[in-house]
Amino acid sequence: MITTESVPASSADSILASQRLNRPVSPHLTIYQPQLTWYLSMTTRITGVGLSGIFYLYTIGYVFLSPFGVDMSIANISRKWGEMGTAVKMAVKAPIAAMFGFHFWNGVRHLVWDTGRELTVRGVYRTGYGVLGLTAASTLGLLVL
Amino acid sequence: MASFRQPALRLLASSSFRRASPTVFNTTRSLASIATDAPTPAKKEPLLKKFTIYRWSPDEPTKKPHMQEYTLDLNETGPMVLDALIRIKNELDPTLTFRRSCREGICGSCAMNIEGTNTLACLCRISRDTSQATRIYPLPHMYIVKDLVPDLTNFYKQYKSIKPYLQRKEPTEDGKEIRQSKEERKKLDGLYECILCACCSTSCPSYWWNQEEYLGPAVLMQAYRWLADSRDQMSGQRKDALENSMSLYRCHTIMNCARTCPKGLNPGLAIAKIKKMMVVGA
Amino acid sequence: MASTFRSTTRLLASRPTSAIRLLPHTRVAAFHASQRQQILPPGPQVVQGTVNDPVPIPTPNAAHGSYHWAFERLIALGMVPLCVAPFAAGTANPALDAALGTALVLHSHIGFDACVTDYFPKRQYPKLRSFMVWLLRGATVTVAVGLFSFQTNDVGLTEGVKKMWKA
Repeated sequence: MITTESVPASSADSILASQRLNRPVSPHLTIYQPQLTWYLSMTTRITGVGLSGIFYLYTIGYVFLSPFGVDMSIANISRKWGEMGTAVKMAVKAPIAAMFGFHFWNGVRHLVWDTGRELTVRGVYRTGYGVLGLTAASTLGLLVL
Repeated sequence: MASFRQPALRLLASSSFRRASPTVFNTTRSLASIATDAPTPAKKEPLLKKFTIYRWSPDEPTKKPHMQEYTLDLNETGPMVLDALIRIKNELDPTLTFRRSCREGICGSCAMNIEGTNTLACLCRISRDTSQATRIYPLPHMYIVKDLVPDLTNFYKQYKSIKPYLQRKEPTEDGKEIRQSKEERKKLDGLYECILCACCSTSCPSYWWNQEEYLGPAVLMQAYRWLADSRDQMSGQRKDALENSMSLYRCHTIMNCARTCPKGLNPGLAIAKIKKMMVVGA
Repeated sequence: MASTFRSTTRLLASRPTSAIRLLPHTRVAAFHASQRQQILPPGPQVVQGTVNDPVPIPTPNAAHGSYHWAFERLIALGMVPLCVAPFAAGTANPALDAALGTALVLHSHIGFDACVTDYFPKRQYPKLRSFMVWLLRGATVTVAVGLFSFQTNDVGLTEGVKKMWKA
């Protein structure tokens, strides 16, 4: 026996609104093809947050911990840091150099884009690989300083 | 329709190229129609290809979205993913739901995420590599009505908000048509061809996170199409509509949009031009 | 032959897999894997009005619009020479040091602010968004104060970085 429900036309909007609440969101980050475009953009943001994060954490520590007697001066911290082994120092400096290099060069790439240049798929890929090459070079340069 | 036949015969008769008499003509035609016993081509081995497709039904809303696998013989299927989807719907699973219309890449209905990239199913060739399944998802980060059908209501509302029509303050000086030079018309090339398939907007991570307030590359490119149109006189108001932190400035030049556009257009470049216009034009 | 083939495929089609598999081709971000969890869930779909009503246009505010963008690009442009010059200059140059410090604080704040605007939508998470905005402002003010104190009482930004790098 087929039963039907009598629904007034005015309830169409409310029925739609209630149906909308059940709808799932289609997958995005997990399924989208890894491409130079968004991977480099994501890396720029992550490196920026990482580098500024270190800067903020140190300076906030400097403000809040110094009154409590913790010596946050560069003289002290650099001495303690200098006592670490070369391997540890390299393991910390290499990522920081890479992060700075990448963020710097991709920043330049962004400024080039803002002038309207290299904003084609070919230009994006060409400049993208250029940034990766320059990052590798400057990381090595910074590490041997 | 003997009247039609007369002039044609006369033409045939008058042409000096081939003085083929009707009898010769007819015999050649009939020669072609006699079927010689040509060997029938050998039945090909079925080329089985797997498709994993995103499924969700509003009739069972509590059941989580899942992937369903279908296998098709590519030797019996057309070359494009849409051909495969239609075959699956016809022969394997009639409940599979997707949008489609023109099957030639001009209507934008069949936009979906195939093998990780947003494109039109009717233009995307099926990969002949049978060791991998073809993954088909709906457009990313969209509310799903059913299976591969996203809800594009917000997308259309955003398009309407940029007033995608010519706006003039006053008619032309001589009251005739609004004239435009060839150079001015050339500025619209690469902008007007957009079919509003939403592939670019749904490929943009900024649009994923801020769908409600950020307009997205498709709508912004159309906003630029009207800003760049020399016949339009409301550039001031059009730019004012973008003078806030969200509508235009959530674009961080990720350029996924240009990479994915199935029509080869470049929304990222159009957005960069808008940003320049916002600062320079004032 | 064809009919049996069709029936097996029908069988295959009717056995749905239970979960969305993380397919072998997708790769998670190489660095911060927690980046994914940082993205808050989008919440249920809410549409204001019908499909024929355009989305509301916010009141124009150039301070948050084109002026903000122009300022952001100017600082970024300034940082390009400022990241190199103080270190290349050798002796601690207080003017360049101050310039780098100011630009760095502004650039960091603008960058963090972009992250907060992107990842904490106001309509869905109003209180969390306000909290993050004020937390960021507080942090930036603290950093500005700390940096000033660092410049005056300690070696300064350029020398500090040099010492830490060469230690």
